[in-house]
Amino acid sequence: MAGADARATALLSPRRLLLIAALLVAVVIAFFAAQSLANSAVYYLTPTEAKDKHIGPGVPTRLGGLVLPGTLKYEPTSRTLVFAISDGTTNVAVVGNGVPPALLKEGAGAVVEGSFAEDGTFRATSVIAKHDEKYAPPSPGATPAHNTP
Amino acid sequence: MIETTASPFPQVRLRPWLGIVAAALSILAMWMGLVWAPTDAVQGDVYRVIYVHVPTAWLAYLAFVVVFLASIGWLWTRRPWFDALAVASAEIGVLFTGLFIVAGSIWAKPTWGVWWTWDPRLVTTAVMFVMYVGYLLLRSLSSDFERRATRAAILGIVAVVDVPIVHLSVLWMNSQHQLPTVLRPPGGGSPSMDPAMSLTLVVSVLAFTFVYLALIVERMDLERARQQRIIEARS
Repeated sequence: MAGADARATALLSPRRLLLIAALLVAVVIAFFAAQSLANSAVYYLTPTEAKDKHIGPGVPTRLGGLVLPGTLKYEPTSRTLVFAISDGTTNVAVVGNGVPPALLKEGAGAVVEGSFAEDGTFRATSVIAKHDEKYAPPSPGATPAHNTP
Repeated sequence: MIETTASPFPQVRLRPWLGIVAAALSILAMWMGLVWAPTDAVQGDVYRVIYVHVPTAWLAYLAFVVVFLASIGWLWTRRPWFDALAVASAEIGVLFTGLFIVAGSIWAKPTWGVWWTWDPRLVTTAVMFVMYVGYLLLRSLSSDFERRATRAAILGIVAVVDVPIVHLSVLWMNSQHQLPTVLRPPGGGSPSMDPAMSLTLVVSVLAFTFVYLALIVERMDLERARQQRIIEARS
């Protein structure tokens, strides 16, 4: 028991050295895991990246960018949604089906899931609006969007 | 060998106060979030989910960092008090990670248009949830106190790696999720929240933090009573 006590009270017992070694290994693993994640994980491609990678027709893809101002059209009777998604360099025409999300606006961000058709337009199975991390009350005189559906 | 369940730190009698402060701040945060804070120009009233979503995310981070520190404490000192802190914090962390995901989902549907998408932030959060559920399961595998505490501590140290990944994933990768409004990296631009909204968010985060502290104290008492019974059964 006296031996055990002496071991336990030693500042750097073998057990504590092992703990320090394990922590260092964990830090190294974390560093490489984070680095490879950051380099390899891709949630969406920008239209330019999709063009450079020559994504073929029918390949499931996600595209992200801004809704090009002046292109957003929604036809309620046929439920057809058409707009161009842009990263400032490349524009891609997107054809979707269904009610657009309330925050899908011209000049705002969007992510579309689907695939390219033979004619180069993007057939979206899902259109997701992106909003930014800025929060502010409406400017005076503007109508606040009280009820986001 | 367990000898005492006593805390290695000086004892302060906080218990009734923690609960009272947590309740008072929660009521204040609820009023500020639902009534006092202005409506958002883009999202309307639905943005108010942020006053639940961000504090629950903060508690998940906090709880799992505490698990990490308590795990080091157990391996370093072998004082059962640290193991009680680790299990208490892990359980509360799992609870708030669940609420964090549910609140995020409720916010995503009316704004993004989907309940869930395989975005890096969402995926790494789901991984975090599963890892700490696994941590709690691991604790139930062994009935020997020291062995269980040591195994759990190792997982408690390894699993914390995901916490910064969750937070930074939106900066490293193309993401559906917006960038952080608070805890932004330096040079990330100007403050992007109206002052009244920021103040409400700060009060909400404080309220949730006190709820966490009050829950930790209660849960640790339960665990230390359990440890005490093990000590008595052995002697």
